Amino acid sequence: MKSQTLYIDTLDETVLWRNLKEGDEKAFSFLFEKYYGHLVRYGNSFSPFPEKVQDCVQDVFTDVWVYRQSLNDSVVVKAYLLSSVRKRIARLQERDHIFRKTTSMDSIEFLFDFSVEHQLISDEATEEKVSHLNELLNNLPTRQKEALYLRYHQGLSVEQIADMLQVNYQSANNLLHRAVVNLRKEWKGDLSLLFLLSSSLF
Amino acid sequence: MQERNNYTEIEDFLANESFQRWIRFKNDQQGWEEWTLENPKRAKLVEEARLWLLAMKVNDTSLSPIVIKTALQSTWAKIDKKEKQEDPTIRIVKLLKKYRVNTAAAVLLFALLSTWFYNSLYIPESNIITYNELINENGEGLVEQTNNSNKAQIITLSDGSSVLLKPDSKLSYPKIFTGNERKVYLSGEGFFEISKNPKKPFFVYANEIVTKVVGTSFRIKAYNDQPNVEVIVRTGKVKVKSSQLIKDSKEKEIVLLPNQALRFIRKKLIFNKITDITLDKNLTQNEGNIEQLSFEFTDIPISQIFKTIEQAYLIKIDFPVEKLKNCHLTTSLNDQPLPEKLKIICKSIGNDTSYEMNGNQIIITSDGCN
Repeated sequence: MKSQTLYIDTLDETVLWRNLKEGDEKAFSFLFEKYYGHLVRYGNSFSPFPEKVQDCVQDVFTDVWVYRQSLNDSVVVKAYLLSSVRKRIARLQERDHIFRKTTSMDSIEFLFDFSVEHQLISDEATEEKVSHLNELLNNLPTRQKEALYLRYHQGLSVEQIADMLQVNYQSANNLLHRAVVNLRKEWKGDLSLLFLLSSSLF
Repeated sequence: MQERNNYTEIEDFLANESFQRWIRFKNDQQGWEEWTLENPKRAKLVEEARLWLLAMKVNDTSLSPIVIKTALQSTWAKIDKKEKQEDPTIRIVKLLKKYRVNTAAAVLLFALLSTWFYNSLYIPESNIITYNELINENGEGLVEQTNNSNKAQIITLSDGSSVLLKPDSKLSYPKIFTGNERKVYLSGEGFFEISKNPKKPFFVYANEIVTKVVGTSFRIKAYNDQPNVEVIVRTGKVKVKSSQLIKDSKEKEIVLLPNQALRFIRKKLIFNKITDITLDKNLTQNEGNIEQLSFEFTDIPISQIFKTIEQAYLIKIDFPVEKLKNCHLTTSLNDQPLPEKLKIICKSIGNDTSYEMNGNQIIITSDGCN
């Protein structure tokens, strides 16, 4: 099941997307069933209100169908849907902010935290290293965290991420690269320090 | 997979789906393990990438198929609403623009169309009403299902009701019921099990008669080429009257209770009520399994219950035999539409049990009973 969601047959998707545009309800339902869970999960990382998120995701699909004739032909379905959900939630939060009269409505924040794959770790040393890295990852600025999530979990390309975060390619690339380089430095540095400490103890 | 030989950064590994699968699910179709061991420098990089992936877990709480199905249904309802909101006149203008019809022609076309529509709607030629006329009169994007096979077919409707449609029969129904009424159109014969909803009465239009219920089970037989229309009630209460499309209809409404029936003689527009169906052989001779089987179960093995349902609805149920072999159930499922029956059974078995329906095929997934 899980590995299935990682692999996307891009050829099939373009055909499905074209059929959907021509009014094929089955293609619509298929894509809905395939992506609904993904999108809800992604949406939930911006909002503590799961019902609102589900509503947003359903609205995105509603628009896809109602305005299907004006959809772009050459679209990577997953990236398009993720981006639409993100925009919609941003718009909703902006609106709520207006009502609540708060000032900061810059953009939405990725509240999501990565966790540790405890089942796949058998020894304590690894556990320690991984937990530490996990902590560093979760302390990254939210935009970097989101970029990492989109790149390595949703499998989006750097171009698609740039598009979604509304920055140019170079900035998106920097965002991703810097996150990894800085973390590696910090992580390695801490590790050697840790190593020194533990060796001096014994 | 040749490209991996050029990988120099851990990012290259992190973005590789096959690598991810190897680390996360131990699925190593591309021989990552062997490839890693070939080169010690490589092994260091791979090990680091592995730690990164281990630190970047995303909790995938997947939604159940039922949740997704329900979400899909409410999305269709949203679509319906949105499409209706778009002003119909604007839509016509859009349509005309699209086909480059000029205004004069459009006005003429509109006039012609409305005259034709008026005529066809208000001047019925005779008192015999057929399915096609009913469908034309309704016209709001109905879905039509025809049973050309030689055994009954199950149809489930958006409100959770189910209809067992006999061979050579047709049913038209909206994809999603909107508004305060649920209307369907039948030609031929079908056994209906309607989900209860007093706020939204359910109407079956069949030839010259209209059957109204709020939640019950009954059979209607209304073939275009037969002289009578019959309604046979199994549970609940059913009201029948003649269609408004009949010119001199007497607007009489007849109430039927369980095991009562009604025969409408089409030529004379007469209702004959039959108060005990067992006395009328014609009515009972072609009743299906579903009307004879009982759905009262007392401590019955799940497999047996599934078998009964398979026979009643002529469907196929796949379920984890081994996991459910010791599960017994006491429940009453009479008077429940098929989706409701399945829902109740799944719930009784346990929280992690769900069903999926694909035409005549039903798949139960379960980890066993509580």
